[in-house]
Order: sequence, then structure tokens, then C-alpha cells
Amino acid sequence: METFIEDFEAAVDDIESGSLSMETDFKALKSWDSLAILTVTDTVEFEYGVLLRKDDFTQSATLGALYRLIETKVGR
Amino acid sequence: MPQSCFNETKITGIVTCVPPLEKCIDDEVELFGGNVKQIERLKKAIGLNKRRVVDTQTTALDLCGSAASQLLADRGIDASSIDALVCITQTPDHLQPCNAAILHGRLGLSSTCAAFDVGLGCSGYVYGLWLGHLMIQAGGCQRVLVLAGDTLSRLVHPKDRAVAPLFGDGGSATLLERSDVERLAWFNLGSDGTGAAHLIVPAGGARQPVSDATKVEREDDAGNLRSDETLFMDGAEVFNFSIQVVPDSVRATLGYAGLEADAVDFFVFHQANRYILGNIAKRLRIDPQKVPMRTVERYGNQSSASIPCAICNELSASLAGAERSRLLLSGFGVGLSWGSALVELGQLAICKVIEYKPA
Repeated sequence: METFIEDFEAAVDDIESGSLSMETDFKALKSWDSLAILTVTDTVEFEYGVLLRKDDFTQSATLGALYRLIETKVGR
Repeated sequence: MPQSCFNETKITGIVTCVPPLEKCIDDEVELFGGNVKQIERLKKAIGLNKRRVVDTQTTALDLCGSAASQLLADRGIDASSIDALVCITQTPDHLQPCNAAILHGRLGLSSTCAAFDVGLGCSGYVYGLWLGHLMIQAGGCQRVLVLAGDTLSRLVHPKDRAVAPLFGDGGSATLLERSDVERLAWFNLGSDGTGAAHLIVPAGGARQPVSDATKVEREDDAGNLRSDETLFMDGAEVFNFSIQVVPDSVRATLGYAGLEADAVDFFVFHQANRYILGNIAKRLRIDPQKVPMRTVERYGNQSSASIPCAICNELSASLAGAERSRLLLSGFGVGLSWGSALVELGQLAICKVIEYKPA
């Protein structure tokens, strides 16, 4: 779970290491844009083998929700 | 698809023609709402920077025709010796006749020459090479001219950030000839029509002719403007598609050829954007030095002209200097469609980018 947050922080621009948590509303981050969607999708696919779609981001209110969604997809 | 292998076709020249007018993302600060920081990030991450755009008088046919004339002149052969002319384009001059027919007349090709268009974009160059190889291998053709290019700048809405700064214009000509010396080539092609809606110009064809309604501009969630007559691209879907399909296609082609990645001198991918290219290279674990990635930042995403432009722009010296080079080409995009080809080149004397000058 921690590596997920680290990966996310690394994937998105201008995020200080250690500044995010599972409760973070990631869509409200200043640097959350179409480029961030690409880099996060890419990182998640590379690390977890799960391909996120636009709806997955819109439906996840927090990083924790996104992580649980990824876990469910991996479980499949 | 049954993969195909050929052994008697050689590529003897590639010329890419670009319009002289250059646009730069630095001059489009307004389009990004004054967000200079975002522009810098896009430059760094995606490789958006410069692109060439045509004026209102110039079309893809002109760019391809100019490339073809240059190629024939450099090669020192008569137009009448061309047995087939294949034109890859999705921005033809007219709904009919096709670009190949018009260029057949313009270039003075023979009446025994087959001339036709192929309606593909980013994957089109590989399909064009495949057709040329088929035609020569089947015995009927000695020389095939494959032209490929589009003027996508004329299809994008200037206020659609998702596409306007990405696409540049270009036209290319590639000469394929029967080879006495064995030259091996392997092709792997694929399609996914269920993704058709991810990259589309909805109106202007038979399904939805232009009307007042098709000109209506709509704003999306991100504030981009477009109409049914402008190019729509779902960037995320196309990105997902690219990173899934392309590495597999490349691996399949290498497997089919019985070669490892280190046997390939250069991997020339469709120059969608630098992020996708770096990503694909990383997934395939190939040396980035072998992957031309500097063409999109100079000329934009040029649809089917992008692969030949990358070769002409970045590999000209290497290909002229080497007795033999193995290139793995991979195009992917609109359709959705993709194709990979592993081709062996001899010393390539003709390999350049020229600027369009009206006759």
C-alpha cells in the first residue's frame, strides 16, 4: 500500500514525497490533469498489470478508493 | 492475421516533404490559458514543441507529390517505370477520385500502372510497405511507389488542446524495387475496430454529411472546443491501446523473424508523442539509442508520414553509412489499426526531408 502512494507521488508532477495519503482527494491536486492521468495509468499498468480507465478515476474519491479498485481488478 | 515474409524487395529511397510554415507551442500560451508551467511540462514529458502546417492552398497530395518527384529525380528513373502507386492518406483532395489517380496524372505514370489509395493513418506506412512487398513478390511489379501523408492540421479545432498542438503535416514517398540480392522482410498487422470511436472525424463523410448541425461547437469537461467536423481523440484510450498492443506486435514480429531485439539496428515507431515512445521502449527493454524519438518535437505527429519522417530526420547518416541495416517499424493508431515490419536495408543513399515549394 505504501509503495502505491510512493509510485503515485513519483508519477505526478510537483508532488512532494510523503505529502499524500490514502485519504487524499487526488483529483483536487493542483497538478492533476490529462498528463497526470496518463502517467498514473502507465505506472499502475506497469506495476500491477491493471489498465485503469477514465471511469475508474472519476469513481474514486480518494487514493485509497483507487487503490482498492486496483486490488479488485488484480484479484480478478 | 497470417504473418507474411518476403525476400526480394528492397527499399531504395525515402523522401519526406514538409510545409515551410512552423508553429511552436511556446506561441500558443493562450490555448493553455496562460499556463506556461503546463506548457513546459508537456514539452518535457510528451515532447510537444514544433510542428509544420500547410497553408490553405496546400494538401497532402501536394506534399506527397513533391516527395515523389524528388525521389524519382534522385533515383534517376523515369516515372513510366513505376508499376504501382499506392497512396496512404485520410486527407485526400477529393472524395473522388483518389489521390493516387490524380498523382498518376501529375507524375506522368504509365497506363499499365495500378494506382489506388489506402484509407489508414498512423499504421498506414507499414501497410503501404506490406502492399508494395506483396506486389513485387507476386511477380507483377518491378517498382512500387508508396506515398504516405496527411494534413491533420486542417482537421483539428484550434481550441482543442487535446489535438491542436500535436498534429503536424507531412507527405512522403518511398520507392520499393525488386531485389536481386535476398532482402528479408517480416510483417505483422492487426486491427481493433471496436476502438473506432477513439480517433475519429465524425462528419464530412457518408454517415454524417456536413450541415449546419455538424458545425456546432461544443465544449468538453476540460474546456476543449470541437465540432463534429473536427478530429476527436480520446487520448487516454489511445494511450492504453498503444502500450498494450505495440510491445506485443513488436515481440511477435521479432519472434516470427527468429531474431532478438539486439539484432535490430533501429526501432522506428510512429511518432505519436515522446512519452508513448519512451514507454514502449521501456516495456520492450530496448536501448533508447536505437529508438528515434526526436521527430515529434520538431514536426509533430504526422500520421502515416511520421515513420518515414523519423527515418529521414534522424537516421539518414546511419543508413547511408551502413552496408546493411535492420529496421523494425511499428505504426499504430486510428482504426484502431497497427502494423509492425522488420525490414533489411542496404546502403540508403536517398533519405531526406525536403521543404515544400509550390511549383
